[in-house]
Amino acid sequence: MEADTQAHVAFFLTGRRPSEHLDAVDGLDLRPALFAGYRELTQLRHDFPLVLVADRADKLFVQSLSGLTDSALDVVASGSDGERIRKHVLQMEQEIRALTMGGASGTLSALWATAASRLAKNKNKSAADKSLEDSLRRARAAVKVDGELANCDAALPARLLRHAWNAVQKQKAEAFRKDIDRLVLKLSDILKADFERSAAGRSAKHLKESVGTGYGDAFDFDALSHLLAKALPKDEFPESRRRRIRELLAVLGAQQFFPASDAAAKKASAAKPYSFFFDTCGDALSTFRKRMPKLIELAKAIAIAELEIDGQYSEVKHDALFEQFGANGLDPQDLAPFPDYLVCVNAEQMQAAEHAHLMEILSSGLPIKVLLQIDDILEESPNGEGNLTAGMRSRQIANMAIGLNEVYVMQSSSSNLFRFRERMLRGLTYRGPALFSVFSGASGKASGLPPYLVSAAAMESRAFPAFTYDPSAGPNWASRFYLEANSQVDLDWPIQGFAYEDEQHQRVSEDLAFTLVDFVASDRRYAKHLARVPREKWNGSMIPVDEALTRERKGLPDKIPSVLMVDADNVLQRVIVDARLIREARRCREMWHSLQELGGVHNSHAEQLLAREKKAWEDRMQQEAEAHAAVAPATAPAVAAPAASAAPAAASAPVEQEPERSSDEAYIETARCSTCNECTTINNKMFAYDRNQQAYIADINAGTYAQLVEAAESCQVSVIHPGKPRNPKEPGLEELLKRAEPFL
Amino acid sequence: MNMMSATECLLQMCEENFELEDYQSGVPRWCTGCGDNAILAAVQRLCRDEGLRPEKTVFVSGIGCSSRFPHYMNTYGFHGIHGRALPVAEGVKMARPDLTVFVNTGDGDCCSIGAAHWIHAIRYNMNLTVFLHDNQIYGLTKKQASPTSPIGTKSNTTPRGSYLEALNPLTVTLGVQNVSFVAQAVDWIPEVLFDIVKAAYHHKGLSFVRILQRCPEWLPKSLDPWMNDPNKVQLLNHENGLQFSAGLSKVYKNQLQHDPSNMDRAREIASSTDLVPVGILYRNPSVPCYEDLRRSDKLRTAELTSVGLNAELDKYTVWPQETKEKVA
Repeated sequence: MEADTQAHVAFFLTGRRPSEHLDAVDGLDLRPALFAGYRELTQLRHDFPLVLVADRADKLFVQSLSGLTDSALDVVASGSDGERIRKHVLQMEQEIRALTMGGASGTLSALWATAASRLAKNKNKSAADKSLEDSLRRARAAVKVDGELANCDAALPARLLRHAWNAVQKQKAEAFRKDIDRLVLKLSDILKADFERSAAGRSAKHLKESVGTGYGDAFDFDALSHLLAKALPKDEFPESRRRRIRELLAVLGAQQFFPASDAAAKKASAAKPYSFFFDTCGDALSTFRKRMPKLIELAKAIAIAELEIDGQYSEVKHDALFEQFGANGLDPQDLAPFPDYLVCVNAEQMQAAEHAHLMEILSSGLPIKVLLQIDDILEESPNGEGNLTAGMRSRQIANMAIGLNEVYVMQSSSSNLFRFRERMLRGLTYRGPALFSVFSGASGKASGLPPYLVSAAAMESRAFPAFTYDPSAGPNWASRFYLEANSQVDLDWPIQGFAYEDEQHQRVSEDLAFTLVDFVASDRRYAKHLARVPREKWNGSMIPVDEALTRERKGLPDKIPSVLMVDADNVLQRVIVDARLIREARRCREMWHSLQELGGVHNSHAEQLLAREKKAWEDRMQQEAEAHAAVAPATAPAVAAPAASAAPAAASAPVEQEPERSSDEAYIETARCSTCNECTTINNKMFAYDRNQQAYIADINAGTYAQLVEAAESCQVSVIHPGKPRNPKEPGLEELLKRAEPFL
Repeated sequence: MNMMSATECLLQMCEENFELEDYQSGVPRWCTGCGDNAILAAVQRLCRDEGLRPEKTVFVSGIGCSSRFPHYMNTYGFHGIHGRALPVAEGVKMARPDLTVFVNTGDGDCCSIGAAHWIHAIRYNMNLTVFLHDNQIYGLTKKQASPTSPIGTKSNTTPRGSYLEALNPLTVTLGVQNVSFVAQAVDWIPEVLFDIVKAAYHHKGLSFVRILQRCPEWLPKSLDPWMNDPNKVQLLNHENGLQFSAGLSKVYKNQLQHDPSNMDRAREIASSTDLVPVGILYRNPSVPCYEDLRRSDKLRTAELTSVGLNAELDKYTVWPQETKEKVA
């Protein structure tokens, strides 16, 4: 083995780096080769910054600046000056992006104004200045929305989720308040109507007040009151109903779950609404439990109020039922109109007790939404220096939550949150607990890269894949689990095209897989697992990481995994990787395989079944071929198989069986009776109506044959059949039989 | 997921079951043999089967034999003025959208004096179920020709026979914008009558059902040709319309597949004169209801009324300042 290769193998196995063969990567400012194009993010059009649009509870609650710019350009950048406007507006977008990445905050309109003045300063005072002003004015008029700008930073996950949560809760509050106002108004109307019917309501004094001052002297209210008291029936409510309605009004008026309507809120006595936003799971849980009795009281009041308004409340039936209302808690449907709780926690600050509370929330089905923010997925393992956890500690919570089956789970990097905006809303409106596990990418101190790039790389390298699990989406994994947001979901590692210029200035293109090692290589804490190979020592024993992972290791390795990186001058470097990182990459790939199976990609059960079926099919084909080969030499034609027995007669359609009637029997075709009363008028003992108000012969002995014949004759739809006479002594039988003949 | 919450289940637990008698009120004064009785029986059956609460149900009528209908229903009712059953019903529905509103009107009430209201009620498409009891004669006033009397009908007003072709309520209704449900029934096939009444009730929008009914007193033979020959009655069946029992199909063999969403075909079928089509001619559930378009989200509180009233009255207020300016 050559000395170089030997050194590489030694490094791979032990991490030892002989200086004559390998360089340490510390201080070289290397980054994965695929990052070369992402050095200056402000120059690149991407989803960030985002505009948090106020008062929208649909997918437009957040919009990307680049999306807004594109829509504005669609409207204004046409005609002869279209290209000029496009140029100016894109400059503007870049300026705003630079401002937000520089730390500026504020609304879109405020930053637009700042950016516009900065752009104007950079231009010469000339005609160009005027045209810039014109372009920006027209584009600004086309951007119809406004809101705070948010960049991809450590604050983004909580900020965005809280913004969405506010919008959803606001919509909920409006619907709830409208409902409560309606109930209060209707209940008050009931009490008012009761008062108007009472003795006090009909008193001369009250009657006078209701007419007003203008015509107060025109009536004799005493006489009116006397008249009303005598003439109108007295049907006042029972005192218990009055009391019940007053109690309902008190409960509805004192509720603190949603802010009261504007008019009611102005009253000094109005109770302060509850807050539903928490920093710890423990607080949210204990507060939820503390408020539960009030919640049940309000839910019960709403149910009773609906019954009262509908006039359906019956003390005999409902009192006992409502006495025990909510004793077993409320189910998710009942909780749906009430506010959801939002908890934002950071994984790094969570202690054991907080973990326990989180699991309790997720497993209890309560309407609590939890944001679990993870800033660092490459944190060092508590087991020892330099050991990776590769997000295991924080990722496990999302995976465990999926196992609970009834939790809405969303896992995503910050960079992908905008793409997941509708899924975020779905989680917030889900009836039950929801977990949003978000990697912010804000571990920049360890990599020197912007959070956007770190979080995007985590998702791309399968270190932190994005997925959602929505229990309300359907009955099976195919409808509930969504993994397709990850790039090239059917591959182990996404493959990207990479082009560079070699020493002879020739363009070289190759496909590179972006693996966990590429992601980890950008983190300075893991520099000791990497070693740069000087260009002159490059040889064929260095192979890409994805290829190394597919090889089975037997004995001493002859090929060493390596990654392509670039330095600060974008010069290509080749860096070899030690066995520990490769082990982590393999572990990461296995976890990705599990997710793929859940998502129906390369599902092992399906593949096994397919293989079994394929084999069975092949065997069958084989047998058929053999049988055919055996029969073929025979010269005589095979004896024709007995003709298949005639197809069984098509099952006759079910026909309604009518009872066999003899013409001697008297009967009515009840289903055809048109309720015309002819027969019942002739004899209402003999003919009667059934529960559908259609005639039948109730008692044949209750009348004469003559009446039967008369009924048959007068029946409008001829459905009465008189049959044969029962009494042979009935007078005029001969003539009656003749008359009955057409109806037999 | 259409799961019911525990509270909803609790509220439904105490719902009452009704019997036919719960909807009956008084003995109908219609003549023996009158087709109105069949309509009454079908509607009472509908109320029972659908569990319509009597205090939440309203029958509105105009004037005529048919318009005595509300008297025989143990629900709320409004025996209105001649030709105005539809506007009264629209008012009830607008003010109380929670009520189920039925309209019973006759061929005179609807197609003569109330014709203007009829046209506009169809265009407004409010959620009402309208039964046109069409006996082709003015029965209550003892035999005068109505707009639907067949040409040549001898009556007290047309002793030499009526001179004009009868008006066809089906083609008229199908010609009005926003029409959403048109069906025809006959009183002598109670099974189909009930099915049509039920389909009309379940349609959201104005469902217009013309029911051909016999008048045994003043036009006893008028419908005999169709009643006595089942082949002259054409049942309209379709998977999206009505489907008939085997027993019925044995008697009424003349059946036609008709998709109720096909307006052109519906108009064609409605125009036939020799056959009586029975079934759903047209149904379009997507036509919006006027009450949904115009309903305000605002609660009618005392404050809202007083603000509205004051704003209106302020238009006529003479402000002292303006008066002074004018004087100056």
